[in-house]
Amino acid sequence: MTIHLAERPTGAAAKRSLARWNLELRRGSPAIRYGLSVVCVAVALGGALVSQYYGALDVELPLFDMAVVVATWYAGVGPSVLAVVLSALCYNYFFTEPFYSFEVSNEDLPRFFLFIASAAIVAWFVAVRRRIESDLRHARDNLQVELEQRKRREDEIRQLNNELARRASELETSNKELESFAYSVSHDLRAPLRHVVGYSELLQRQASSLLDEKSRRFMQTILESAKRMGNLIDDLLEFSRIGRAETKNTLVSPDPLVKDVVAEIGQDTTGRDIVWKIHHLPVCYSDRSMLRLVIFNLLSNAVKFTRMRAQAEIEIGCVDGENEVEVFVRDNGAGFDMQYVDKLFGVFQRLHLPEEFEGTGIGLATVRRIIHRHGGEVRAEGIVDHGATFYFSLPKAQDAAERTANTL
Amino acid sequence: MSELARILLVEDDPRDVELTLTALGEYNLANEVVVTRDGEKALDYLYCRGEFSARSNDNPAVMLLDLKLPKVDGLQVLQQIKSDERLKLIPVVVLTSSREEKDMVRSYKLGVNAYVVKPVDFHEFVNAIKELGVFWAVINEPPPGSVKKAP
Repeated sequence: MTIHLAERPTGAAAKRSLARWNLELRRGSPAIRYGLSVVCVAVALGGALVSQYYGALDVELPLFDMAVVVATWYAGVGPSVLAVVLSALCYNYFFTEPFYSFEVSNEDLPRFFLFIASAAIVAWFVAVRRRIESDLRHARDNLQVELEQRKRREDEIRQLNNELARRASELETSNKELESFAYSVSHDLRAPLRHVVGYSELLQRQASSLLDEKSRRFMQTILESAKRMGNLIDDLLEFSRIGRAETKNTLVSPDPLVKDVVAEIGQDTTGRDIVWKIHHLPVCYSDRSMLRLVIFNLLSNAVKFTRMRAQAEIEIGCVDGENEVEVFVRDNGAGFDMQYVDKLFGVFQRLHLPEEFEGTGIGLATVRRIIHRHGGEVRAEGIVDHGATFYFSLPKAQDAAERTANTL
Repeated sequence: MSELARILLVEDDPRDVELTLTALGEYNLANEVVVTRDGEKALDYLYCRGEFSARSNDNPAVMLLDLKLPKVDGLQVLQQIKSDERLKLIPVVVLTSSREEKDMVRSYKLGVNAYVVKPVDFHEFVNAIKELGVFWAVINEPPPGSVKKAP
């Protein structure tokens, strides 16, 4: 186990390095471990013989026990057994009668067994204690590693958070720039345009009688182009306003909105034969005025693109899904080629010539933007000259709150 | 002319001034207009300061105010007027290119009397100016202390 530790107090570091040395020794080669065992017993034997020489009797038992303790603690179970056996042999040879033989006299036999028992018990306790110690150390090391990993993860999270905060502030800045850009477009781009139109009108008024047919047409074209640019600017501003405006989502019943829009559109379609099929739409969670704009754009598109039909059929209804409501607007008008379906919802993207159908190409882009802001999706199906169907989905009232919260 | 001016037009763009005057001219209101080209001059006029120190102290019957002006902008002028006991009687019409909602809301909060977005279409522009001019300078009875209609 390799653990790289950051700075620690020196006392703890010393303790730790000793512990590591411990561990390494226990994992070390058998020669070293058994060697340690032999050395321990030899030192104990030396000590006991010297003590005996100077007349201190009966110190051999604690000395050999100490040798067993040291061997067990530092070298493990195998060397421990070796130490016990060697101690027993030494004890037998040097300290039981008859001395200097491996025989044991009857009266020394209990002493000898006592010695073996005490050595075995000491070895047993030390081995158990040692196992507990090593388990504890293991657990502590694991904790340490986990702690460091957690710290590293926290650092990463903190770093990501900082990054996020930076991004957010960048986004805010660029949003503000965008806002001021839209504002100055609204102010400054419109003014010269108004002048182009105004002065062309004045010129037309003053010089109309002097101009030939061609020049008058040129003049008319200037005027129309300038007005068209005015419309484009207005539409673009409206589009950008939708992106910036705050949505106030409430429970909205689309039925009255549809009725309202149909009535409004109806004022401009007198003389046309339009069959409206209006189905009930469920309550959804959305911004009322934005939802109205979506319905208005889709229905007025349907009316526009069915212009050449003797009888236009426009249907609005819905498919009730599990989590969302998909509303569709179907018409029997000009339709479109499915090949270009991706372009349909782009800003200023048009699939028809201005002579065929007027418009700036912002209506469906607005629809998409609004629906995306509500956490929904848009799609369309069409066949050239057989009509088109536009779908938009809105989250159902019950789970809408969290979904819009995620997307806003 | 400025003695009789019942319409104060505050507009920095000379072309807008000309177009507005042309529109008002169609209804014989052009000679009732005094033009100031920035907010500071407009306030000078209203307070009879600087180059306007010699004029009579009457208020105009209506003030047509652009919002984007050099030096002191339209909203600041509006704020100044509406916080002055004598000047706040003047009907103020904001006449601007801005369709921005926040401009509109701020203007109304400051007490503007009308908010008109200049239409791009010249006919609509002429109509808007005409109706503004006729309404405020002719139909509307101006508050006391305003320049009287020429007999």
